[in-house]
Order: sequence, then structure tokens, then C-alpha cells
Amino acid sequence: MKGFMKAVNRTPHQLTSRIGMTKKSSDPEFDDFNRKFTAIEAGTEKILKDSGTFRDAVQTLLYSGSSFSNSFNTLFAPLGAEYNLGAKFPNSEVTIQNIGSYQALMEELRETLNPELELIDSRVIVPCKELQDICKRIRKTIVKRDHKLVDFDRHNNSLNKLREKKEKSLSDEKNLFKVEQDFEIASNEYEHWNTLVKQELPHFFQLSTSFIEPIFHSFYYMQLNCFYLMQEKLQSFADGKYDLSRTDVENVYFEQRGDAAEHLEELTITKRMVSTAKLMADRRVASGSSYGGKPGIGRTSSISSSIKSPSLARQPSTSKYGLPPPVPAPMVAAPPPYTTGEKSGAGLTSAGSIKKAPPPPPPMKRAASNVPPAEYCVALFDFAAQAEGDLSFSVGDRIQIIERSESQDDWWTGKVHGQTGSFPGSYTQLE
Amino acid sequence: MQKTGQIERTVDREFAEEEGRYRTMERETTELQKEAKAYLDAMRSMSASQSRIAETLEMFYTADRTSDGAMAGHAYKSAVDELDNSVGRDLDAPFRATVLEPVGKLCSYYPAINDAIAKRNKKMLDYDASRSKVRKLVDKPAEDTAKLPRAQQEHDEAKEIFEVLNGQLIEELPQLVELRIPYLDPSFEAMVRCQLKFAEEGYSKLAGVQRYFAENIRDEYANGQLDAQVESTLGEMKQLAIYGI
Repeated sequence: MKGFMKAVNRTPHQLTSRIGMTKKSSDPEFDDFNRKFTAIEAGTEKILKDSGTFRDAVQTLLYSGSSFSNSFNTLFAPLGAEYNLGAKFPNSEVTIQNIGSYQALMEELRETLNPELELIDSRVIVPCKELQDICKRIRKTIVKRDHKLVDFDRHNNSLNKLREKKEKSLSDEKNLFKVEQDFEIASNEYEHWNTLVKQELPHFFQLSTSFIEPIFHSFYYMQLNCFYLMQEKLQSFADGKYDLSRTDVENVYFEQRGDAAEHLEELTITKRMVSTAKLMADRRVASGSSYGGKPGIGRTSSISSSIKSPSLARQPSTSKYGLPPPVPAPMVAAPPPYTTGEKSGAGLTSAGSIKKAPPPPPPMKRAASNVPPAEYCVALFDFAAQAEGDLSFSVGDRIQIIERSESQDDWWTGKVHGQTGSFPGSYTQLE
Repeated sequence: MQKTGQIERTVDREFAEEEGRYRTMERETTELQKEAKAYLDAMRSMSASQSRIAETLEMFYTADRTSDGAMAGHAYKSAVDELDNSVGRDLDAPFRATVLEPVGKLCSYYPAINDAIAKRNKKMLDYDASRSKVRKLVDKPAEDTAKLPRAQQEHDEAKEIFEVLNGQLIEELPQLVELRIPYLDPSFEAMVRCQLKFAEEGYSKLAGVQRYFAENIRDEYANGQLDAQVESTLGEMKQLAIYGI
């Protein structure tokens, strides 16, 4: 309550001094100390925060290191029924054989460094926190000194006003005595606190330097130790396995990188699937034979050869025009209609109808799919073949549809100008 | 319906095995990607926080810039700044190029593969359903004689689609799973090299700072005297009148 009344009494003075109506004292020496102290306060807070960040970063480093070494360990170990990976991938044999020890090492590193982290905690972070608390209490004292200064100015002002008043009334005279007394008290108090602060702050500054020095040295050795232990462990792993005279990580990587990435790229399943309808259409057009072959989907997959199996893609190498028409199954081998090559479309027209040949074909099915009322679509845009097996056409061409799906976004198969091939349904409009 | 046992299910142990292997690979590489990123961030955060700490230390030494302490603080500052720069300049980019990007690229294939597996599973349901339909019609012919052939045709179509999708996965999943080894191996070595490089740089840069310390500091650190100094200084601070009112 006392503090509250004081605050209320000070407020008017603080307002008037702010707008320059009353005089405000200042002590440059104190201001200088105060600036320094504020810097130490801020510095303590920063050190506290940054040493916490450093500790957390080391912790994350150790944790994620051990966790990805675990993943590596699983990945380089046989999955399921795999066996003898080292013989299969001689280039990776070293890794396959040593991955277990790497994982153990990273785990070990985590365990060895954990005490180091606790040291950072107990010997750097905790003392800094203590310093911060000390700063807070000193700050309180400084605030008190500031308040006393306000009181001093306030009483000084009233006294001066009263003294300067030309014609003092009786009550003014009486007041003068009281005001003088108040001023005396305020002046003493302010003097006391101001002197105390000015006397002790320099000592505190000295102490804070002698505080920070051992903290800095300790922290330095902890950091050094972290790096040292990491280096030691990793060196022990890398020694003899890698050519450590080379430090150009990137070049080493690119030299070692084989064609695995290309192989991955060539797989069909690594690509977005278009649609089943398109996939099946491609297959029928491309192979003409029954399943079991290599289906192809996306258009981009025209590169052939994967690790061991041949083209999984659209098989551009075995052009469909070169193939015997997969017309009626029994006469598969007959090449004759091919003299003109381009005319093969006729055969393909019925490719759709034999697609279900293998299982005993119920007569009805054949009939059903054999009597498609010829469907046509009209080209809305020019389309130039982008891959072998594509059907080119110009705006306005009337394309006979051989096979199409429900969706216009799919690739359809059709025939125009005696050519057969697939084309994007979206380029056309159904009649 | 399958759960209730009314429809016979296509059992495909071969596929299940391949899928299991693929799932392990998917899980581990995804984890790898995440943790490798965390590792890089941690390295950067370590050196960056050291550099900030050094900056703050300099402030504490402003009183006397020529003192031994200030010299050591300055040496520390330039060492960690150098380390921080070298992490940013010589480590960050290679780490990304040799570890994060390749692993990320591998992980980027998974959505498409998962879609293909999901699609294959859906088509298997279609296939199972159509087969059971045919079987029922065979066991108990319907009055409408067209029903069986129609069902048969649906069955054949479903079967073909399923077999294509299934065949593709059975053929390619093992290839994919095997490729992990030649694909990831160079990244593994690069990872070890980056880790080592970071530790070496950190150690060698920092080690030089010791020269600026008084000779006994190392021992004082080891035997806990530094901590005692900290304690007693804090105690002295608490003796100040400005501390305790």
C-alpha cells in the first residue's frame, strides 16, 4: 500500500516533467553505469539462450545421428529373404559389412557425449541463470533509485515554487516548513540510493567479468570436447575405409554414384499411373499378346532396359507396326499384311476383340465386342505424335475410335488416314 | 464380404512378401530423410549459436579490450565465426547435394508406388468379386442365360487388369528394393564424410584458441576450479548491497 501511494504521488510529477514543465535532474555518471548494466543484463540473457540452443543442437545432432544410423543399418541389411547382398553389390560390400559397427559407434557417441551435455547444463546454464536472477534484483534497486529521484525532483519543484511565490499567504508560510522538510528527506534518500548504486555497480561489473571468464573457459572446453569426441569416433570408422586424403565430398559422391538413379527412374512403378484404361490400351496395342509381358504406362517411360529385365516401358524398339497383326489368334505368325506397314491398323482394329482370347472364349463375347458400332471423334486440335505408336492428326480429322475409355482425359486408340495409334482423347470431340 | 468369408480371396504370398520389404524400405528411408535434415540443422545451429555466444562474450570484455581475457574472447570469436562460415559454405551445399537430395528423390517415388499398390489391391477386390459371381452362376445357373457369359467376360477383364498390375509390382518392387543399396551407398559415405568434416573443422578451429588461455586453465577446468571460481563470484555478487534489500 505504501508503494502504491508513492506511485500515485509521483505520477503528476512524472507527467509534467515529461512534457518539460518541471525540472528533471540527471546524473551522467549514473546513466553511464546504467547503460553498462543494461548491456550485461541483455548479455546474460543472450548467453543463457544461446548456450541452451547449443546444448539442444548437440542433443539433436546425437539423437538424429543415432537414429539415421539405425535406418542405414536396416537398409543395408538383408530385407526379408534377401541374402548375400555383399556379393551382389561388390561396390557396397564395405558398407554392408560395416554398417553395424557404424551404428554401434553412433550410439556410443551419444552415450559418451551425454555427460558433456549435462556439464553444459550444470556449469554454464545454471550459473548464467543465477547471474540473471542477481541482475533482476539489482535492477530492482536501480528502479528504486529512480523512484527516489522522482521524489527528489518533485519536492524540489514544490519547494522552489513556494519560495519564488512573491506574496506568500499564511498557509504558504506554514507549508514552506513542511515542504522543506519533505525535500530534505527526499534529498537524503535519493542521495543514499544514488551513491550506493554508483559505488557498487563498478564492483559488480568487475565481478561479472570474473564470472564470465571461467564460464567461457569451461564452455570452451566442453565445446572442444564435443568436437573432439565426434572426430575421434568418426575417424575410427572412416579410417581405412575411405580415402581420407580427399575432402571434396561432392566429387567423391558423384564419382561413386553409379547408374542406380537411372534404373530407379526407369521403373514403371516410380511414375504416376495414368489410368487403368490407358494402361490396358497401351498394352494391347503395344504387345498384342496376352499379359505376362511388360506393361507400360506413362508416356515418359520410353527408355528401355531396367536392371535385369528388358523394357518395361512402351517398348518403342519393337514397333507395333513391325509386329504381326495380333488379329485372330490362330494365324499369329502370318506376316503378309505387313507389306505396306501402315495398313496394319486394320488388324489392330480387331485387336481389341481378341484381347480376351486366352480363356475359352464364349462365343457371345466375341460377338459382343466384334460389333462395335463404329464410333468417331473429330479432332479439335492438331496433334503430332510424341512417341512411336502415337496417332498424328490435324484439326477436323475424323478419327475412327478403336478403343476408348469413359474419360476424355485418357489416351484412346483410333485410326485415321490409314494409321492407327493412340492419342489424347481431350484433343477430340466425340461425334 | 471378403471378411465374412463369402468371397474367396486371391492369396498372393509373393506379393505380400515384396510389399513387406518395400514397406520397410519406405519407412526407413523416410526416417532417414527426416533425421538427416535434422542433423544438418543441428550442425548449423551449433555453429551459429557458438558464433552468437562469442559475440556476447566480447561485450563482457568491453571494459578492457587489451586484457588477456579479451584476447582469448576475440580469438574464440574469430574461430567460431570461421567455423560457422565454413559450415554454411563448405558443408551445407555438399550435404544437401549428396545426402538430402538423393534420399529425398528416392522418397518422392513412394506416393506413386503406393498408388500403384492401392490400385492393385482395388483391382484384386474386383477380380475376387467377379470370380465369385461366376462361380455362383455356374453352381446355380440363372434363368437369364446371358448372365453367365456376361459375368464370365467381366471376370476375364478383371483378371487381366489385376494380373497386369500385380505382375508389374511383383516384377518391379524387388528391383526397387535392391536398388536401395547401390543408390544409397554413396550417400552413406558422403554422410560419414560430412560428419567427419564437421567434427574436424570444429576441433581444429577451436583448438587454436587455447593458446590464448593462461597455462593452468586446462587443469583448472579439469579439476573443477573454474566452477569454484564461478560459485565464489556469484557469492560475492550476492554480498552487494544493491543485490539484497
